[in-house]
Amino acid sequence: MLKAGITFKLLSKQSNNVRLLATAVGYKQALVNIPPTKLTVLDNGIRVASEDSGSPTATVGLWIDAGSRYETSKNNGVAHFLEHMAFKGTSKRSQTDLELLVENMGAHLNAYTSREQTVFYAKCLANDIPVAVEILADIIQNSSLAEPEIERERGVILREMQDVESNLQEVVFDHLHATAFQGTPLGQTILGPTKNIKKISKADLQQYIKTHYQPTRIVLSGAGGVEHERLVDLASKHFSGLKNTALDVPDLAPCRYTGSEIRVRDDSMPLAHVAIAVEGAGWTDADNIPLMVANTLIGAWDRSQGGGANNASYLARAAASENLCHSFQSFNTCYKDTGLWGIYFVGEPLQLEDMLYNIQKEWMKLCTSVTEGEVERAKNLLKTNMLLQLDGTTPVCEDIGRQMLCYNRRIPVHELDARIEAVSVQNIRDVCTKFLYDRCPVVAAVGPTEGLPDYTRIRAGMYWLRA
Amino acid sequence: MSHVTDIKVLFSRLFSFKNGLSSVRFNKRHFSQDSDRARQVTPLPPLSEPVPNLPPIVYSSAKSEDALTEVTVLNNGLRVASEKKFGQFCTAGVVIDSGPRYEVAYPSGICHFLEKLSFGATHKFPTRDVMLRELERHGGICDCQGSRDTTVYATSADSRGLEAITQVLAEVTLRPQLSTDEVEAARQAVAFELETLSMRPEQETILMDMIHAAAYKGNTLGLPKICPVENVHKIDRGTIINYLKNHYTPDRMVVAAVGVEHGPFVEYVQKYFVDMKPMWNLEDNNLIKPNVDKSAAQYTGGIVQEECEIPLYPGSDLPELSHVVIGIESCSHSHPDFVATCVLNMMMGGGGSFSAGGPGKGMYTRLYTNVLNRYHWMFNATAYNHAYGDSGVFCVHAAAPPTRLHDTALLIARELSAMAGNVAAAELRRAKTQLQSMLLMNLEARPVVFEDVGRQVLATGKRKPPSYFINEIEKITADDIIRVATTMLTKRASVAARGKLTHLPTFEEIQANMSLNKSETSPQGRRLNLFRA
Repeated sequence: MLKAGITFKLLSKQSNNVRLLATAVGYKQALVNIPPTKLTVLDNGIRVASEDSGSPTATVGLWIDAGSRYETSKNNGVAHFLEHMAFKGTSKRSQTDLELLVENMGAHLNAYTSREQTVFYAKCLANDIPVAVEILADIIQNSSLAEPEIERERGVILREMQDVESNLQEVVFDHLHATAFQGTPLGQTILGPTKNIKKISKADLQQYIKTHYQPTRIVLSGAGGVEHERLVDLASKHFSGLKNTALDVPDLAPCRYTGSEIRVRDDSMPLAHVAIAVEGAGWTDADNIPLMVANTLIGAWDRSQGGGANNASYLARAAASENLCHSFQSFNTCYKDTGLWGIYFVGEPLQLEDMLYNIQKEWMKLCTSVTEGEVERAKNLLKTNMLLQLDGTTPVCEDIGRQMLCYNRRIPVHELDARIEAVSVQNIRDVCTKFLYDRCPVVAAVGPTEGLPDYTRIRAGMYWLRA
Repeated sequence: MSHVTDIKVLFSRLFSFKNGLSSVRFNKRHFSQDSDRARQVTPLPPLSEPVPNLPPIVYSSAKSEDALTEVTVLNNGLRVASEKKFGQFCTAGVVIDSGPRYEVAYPSGICHFLEKLSFGATHKFPTRDVMLRELERHGGICDCQGSRDTTVYATSADSRGLEAITQVLAEVTLRPQLSTDEVEAARQAVAFELETLSMRPEQETILMDMIHAAAYKGNTLGLPKICPVENVHKIDRGTIINYLKNHYTPDRMVVAAVGVEHGPFVEYVQKYFVDMKPMWNLEDNNLIKPNVDKSAAQYTGGIVQEECEIPLYPGSDLPELSHVVIGIESCSHSHPDFVATCVLNMMMGGGGSFSAGGPGKGMYTRLYTNVLNRYHWMFNATAYNHAYGDSGVFCVHAAAPPTRLHDTALLIARELSAMAGNVAAAELRRAKTQLQSMLLMNLEARPVVFEDVGRQVLATGKRKPPSYFINEIEKITADDIIRVATTMLTKRASVAARGKLTHLPTFEEIQANMSLNKSETSPQGRRLNLFRA
């Protein structure tokens, strides 16, 4: 499985009564009805972070600071290839033994690779956590990487590529990255080109593990019925053999953003799939919170939802009443030092120009005339969405792992609440002006795209000539 | 004409200078490495550092407990069920004994319309927007989903907003406006959905309607869930209100919540669901006697097929597929054999021949080991058990290239008939553990707990805790599985097929391959000749 870019998600759950930064000082303490996230760093640098909700099930996983961004054009695809090899047996147990062990526990083992992160996790009954941690430790340290399995997996990955190609949203986002970050590692796909998949060798895989699976870059995250002390004990038992061999994390070259476009015109398709974006903020940038609010304000819509004429988002109302598209979804994808903020939509060929006009109108309104009512509503919605997302052990575990890699901490709930609450109308206008106004967008479109305006016209829609 | 525009543009540029807009900001072109991108706009530290001067935080360390479900029956017959659950949020909703199975006297598709009309304008909230704002004030979201015999309206919100969301729930279920505009918008949304369904390569939704139509020909559970095209323009406000009047009655509803105190909740429900009357009583003072289709589901078996082009996955070279679903009558969710049927379903398992996910997705279930791993041209084989109040259908959905349809249908039929054969101890143990862990994992999410509480109370008046089902699963033996399978296999088969169907075997041939009667003439054990056709 792969995850093409992690859409910016933050931890949530609302804290009591902390409404404004200005007034927050007045409160003695903030009570929250959730357990704390506990963090322990092992001697070799592995970070163990967990939240104990006492439930009968749990999720534990390894979040590794490595992904396709760390690859070159020669070995692009190797991180994802490794993810595929993870469940193919280790020096301790064969593939069948591993599969039967997991299946017989009623557990689930899963993995995904994104541009900056590689994740292996297990969902299981709380009593089986020791086995789950042992399995995770085994697959990342002792993967057998046998030649016959490598050969077989090439075929599987090529087949997965077909699957990805049948998902047009993923195709469009790959094109969007390819053009926005052209000439840099972020422009590469996660799966890698066919020629690399055909020739990646055991030595390439071993080299990648040696360079990137460094304990200082690994987080062991747990949620559900997980006792922190026991998880720490398990981690020291199974991961203490892991040594930092590469002395420092490879210096990431900044990935240059280039306003540009890719169109893949195919008039035999009924609908056009279009993404348009500007360069967004990196993970830690404080401007990310207002960007998220702006993103929520634009919203998402699908024409089978109905009732669009009453939607909170202006764009959804316009889309519903004027029949502008089949669906749209705004996004804010973050990386370490950059990001993509924009919108993806699917529409009929003759609707594209009108849809684009409305999108850019809303974008310009964000920079100049967005109202307090809209911003307050979007802030509320953002809090709600983030909050309700963290239902279940897997989303919480994922949130902890990702935040540990992105922020090296888990943002406390009341702080996040305070940060969202601090977003003012002026803040939205300033941040949107900084990131959107008169910026060169990136455009990726697949399908009957003739009706989509030329790049120069799209670029001209990024500013307003009026007072 | 164009030069005129240019002059206007020029003027407006000058104008903007005059108005003192920052010329730097609005007129200088920016590129991504510009220095002012580094300028931080939001006056807070980066997300990797804490915000200073926040109050200290006090976390809770509560443990989840097997909460007790409290049920109160109000004087008009409405049942109120609730359960406490750790956390700041609650899920509350209404579970109604309503769905397409009751549409026999109405044009099919009313419930499809009702889903689209849910959470619209009501008597108290003049537009959907006003209602959504009320919900948003309490950090709430809402959703309406229906199955064949149950409709669920649910909201999740901050527990402190319980009274407000109870009122919203009462308004949307009992006092919707259903204005002409709203009905028209719903009509359009239904039409769009039908169009989208027909353009998608995914066939599950359509096939589930078809297998139910085959299993319960023309009655109750066999009625379509997807609004038929010819009814899209037939359903109007009057029909819908007439349906609501007869089905949204107190004795057919449960108002349930998870994460709330029972006492105040009952009070709010009394206030908004009982003391305030439904809109159909406001508009029409004649006391009506609700008229509901009370007939039991009649399992008929049979075949429903549609020869058509199935859309391909665009832009990929995945092959064209034909789909077949083969089913038999299982049992209702209140039947003593229900748990054994679920274990059997887990044992059959299956999925896509190529699906995401590592170990744990059911790689050692029978449809994988006996079917997908052996016949690589098969694209998908998955077992489902649909259980309702008075019947149920157990089925396997398979997809393969059209030329392989004959082999596919017969393989699945034989795999179904093999359910009455041997059950290995290891596979039974695995299926039981997987079902137990699946149950607990699903119940991690509050909305799932809510739906479970609501549905159980609607069906039986009380909720059995997860621990009860864990024990029941534990008790299932190989003999139970064989007995349940044998009973099922005495029934006539139901078959649904869609796509290019030239190679589909006849109904009789499929039925013969599922027969338990292992006489000389039956085709059992003819595996070697499988590819003769």
